[in-house]
Amino acid sequence: MLFPTVEFAIFFPIVLALSWALMPRQPLWKPFIVVASYVFYAAADPRFCLLLAAITLVSQLAVVGIHRTDDERLRKWITAGGVVFDLGILAVFKYYGFFVTDVSDVLDSVGLGMPLPLATIALPVGVSFFSFQAVTYVVDVKRRQAEPASLLDAAIYLSFFPHLVAGPIVRASEFLPQLKEPRDPNRVAVGAGLTLIALGLVKKVMIADYLARELVDPVFAVPQAYSAPDAILAAYGYAAQIFCDFSGYTDIAIGLALLMGFVFPQNFNSPYRATGFRDFWRRWHMTLSRFLRDYLYIPLGGNRKGRFRTYANLMVTMALGGLWHGASWNFVAWGAYHGTGLSVEHASRGRLGRLFPGWLRWFVTFNLIVFGWILFRSQDLSLVGGYIDALTRSGPATLYSVPVVGAILLVIGLQLLPERPMEGIELRLGRLQPLFLGAALALVVLIVGATVPSQGVPPFIYFRF
Amino acid sequence: MTDATTRRERGDSEEFETIAEMEAEAGPGREGQPHGDDSLIGRFDRWGLSRFTAWDAVRAVALTTLLLLIFAGGAVRKAADELKPGLGRDVVKAVAGPAGWISDQLPFADTRRDLTSWLSPDQQLTGSGFEAGGVSPGRAAPVTPPPPSTPQPLERLLVTGDSLSTPLDIELARKFADQGAGVQVTRDPHLATGISNTGLVDWGKLSSTQAAEDDPDAVVLFIGANEGYPMPGSGGAQVSCCGPQWEAIFRSRVAQMMDNYLNGGAERIYWLTIPTQRDPARKPIADAVNQAIEGAAAERGASVRVVDLGPTFTPGDTYRDSIEIDGKQTIVRESDGIHLNEQGSSVAADLVLAAIDKDFDY
Repeated sequence: MLFPTVEFAIFFPIVLALSWALMPRQPLWKPFIVVASYVFYAAADPRFCLLLAAITLVSQLAVVGIHRTDDERLRKWITAGGVVFDLGILAVFKYYGFFVTDVSDVLDSVGLGMPLPLATIALPVGVSFFSFQAVTYVVDVKRRQAEPASLLDAAIYLSFFPHLVAGPIVRASEFLPQLKEPRDPNRVAVGAGLTLIALGLVKKVMIADYLARELVDPVFAVPQAYSAPDAILAAYGYAAQIFCDFSGYTDIAIGLALLMGFVFPQNFNSPYRATGFRDFWRRWHMTLSRFLRDYLYIPLGGNRKGRFRTYANLMVTMALGGLWHGASWNFVAWGAYHGTGLSVEHASRGRLGRLFPGWLRWFVTFNLIVFGWILFRSQDLSLVGGYIDALTRSGPATLYSVPVVGAILLVIGLQLLPERPMEGIELRLGRLQPLFLGAALALVVLIVGATVPSQGVPPFIYFRF
Repeated sequence: MTDATTRRERGDSEEFETIAEMEAEAGPGREGQPHGDDSLIGRFDRWGLSRFTAWDAVRAVALTTLLLLIFAGGAVRKAADELKPGLGRDVVKAVAGPAGWISDQLPFADTRRDLTSWLSPDQQLTGSGFEAGGVSPGRAAPVTPPPPSTPQPLERLLVTGDSLSTPLDIELARKFADQGAGVQVTRDPHLATGISNTGLVDWGKLSSTQAAEDDPDAVVLFIGANEGYPMPGSGGAQVSCCGPQWEAIFRSRVAQMMDNYLNGGAERIYWLTIPTQRDPARKPIADAVNQAIEGAAAERGASVRVVDLGPTFTPGDTYRDSIEIDGKQTIVRESDGIHLNEQGSSVAADLVLAAIDKDFDY
């Protein structure tokens, strides 16, 4: 079920009302919210509910096993078993086809090929997110950073519908404590929730989908057919599109959770105002970058084993982080590109910051990030070459229009404004009366809905990941 | 005091050059200690946002829903009609039906349409839509211009259809661009639409509009993933898929589309058949659709080329995920067992190009 759909518009008010009605009776609320979340997930494909249930059960078994023993060796083995199962599910459903075709080609070429049956496997929506959350549950309990939960709480944590299909990746230690007591019905951030939902809808439908339709999709589909002015604009357009698409989804998810009394971690913080790659990853998909840091980079040794090992760890972390986005070499290349950027910054030991003024660091970083999006958005590596050719080909500008250029400038420009005034606007909106905001949300939905083509709202980009 | 703080006080900045700095500051790697607030979980408290009661939230969302039903109940009902059949659709329709009725009784929906219709990205469709019952079986096909006997220059190609037509359209555009041909390829996929279902778009009108607006020399059509819907027969009663009567109505709709393109200026149409799909339940639909395409094309002679994908993708009428390409088994279908993936679309594009090569110079 997508957020901006009729099904969800009917589903959510019913679930919200029942959720608060049952909240004081936790033995009723907990099964209710699990069932509601599974109904939400089943709308995509009911078969995948079994997968979600299997990950929940195995992770819970692992956590109980870890908690019951003090034998560190055994705890490690159980943790490894749980993590391998969670990531194994992800590997089979997401990377089997990639392994059988692309990777086996590479192995074949060095005489290590092995025949594997070709098969098309459907990618369960959200598997990349809930499998990672399952990993945080198992590992956080092993690290004694989270307490084991009941099976029901674990099921809520992994299936809670606002974050189920595309995050944010909420740590067990962030969510499970919120299940210990019923949420306080007198402290609901209604204004913030409704404002975030409205903002997310505008970002996704009015900006991201518009830019995709009018600019980005045509150019990235056939870059050979375009020249530099259009290719340059489309690269900036994609930077704006993917931000609005993914942060729009996140805004809606966080807003829905707030209305239900839950708080999710922040996932974006004006990423295009970053003045370096490290700064960018502190602002972009923050819950993924901290997952990669806590559960991959640091276990690999982080920066504690010498300079070259640090670079290697950064490259491995970012390349795997890239691969997480999709089973394709261009995502690996995108990750390696960011790994290189982080390594160069590390090697400079802060000299870059001292040598160059802030505006220049921002300018260079922003344009390097935009160039990286070309690797990310292109269908495959061969098309990256075609896109770079287009960037150097002179020709007419055919896709420039006031709304397109205006949308890109708006998205980038708003992130460069001082944070305080923006916070102030959010605060003032959040103080308005809920009924007024409810009516305003309806108005926003009506306006946003009028911009939806007859074919409906395209899925969020991160649903594919 | 954390190690990070100690190091910072020592002035050892190198240890903080990577994202591990945050590790130390937030404390995520320390066994037995909770994560720091690197997630900003407490941000809403820190910002001092106003808090309301849960019932304020419920009332606000209920008001939003109520206003949407009043102002857009008809659109909700239409959206419900377009959902895939199943329990979800039934539930949505149970709400959407009364909402649509209430909305119809009030003047607000028209006001909303008047105020917001300029925002719609959809084309304004022209021409005639499909009629109930289609063209009567005995009626002769309308006269369409005969195709030229010698290859003509190809300047504009329209690739259209439902979701089947993409990424075929992209593959065709890339292949023309790679050849340096100056062919302008217009890609116009209409996802989730069907010839037998006019809810989202009426292909009778759409084909007229495309012919007028895009003025293509040739049209490539690949459609059929969303067929099998009941269609109104000549008496107004709904005719269910996939008997001879349904096939006849479908064939008349296909014929109307072909005539719209040909009379609109297109010299040739290349219409792709649906290769066998994984789900055996879809076979009667695909068979009826393919027979209708072949029947309507036969009446229009060389103006319409049927590009039969069956022998290439599903020889022997047997579904398969992969076929041999350049001596190597390659997956050519999506996991849904309906659509062609990129590799499959590339093969289909080669078949279309081979047909175009016989009729056009570019």
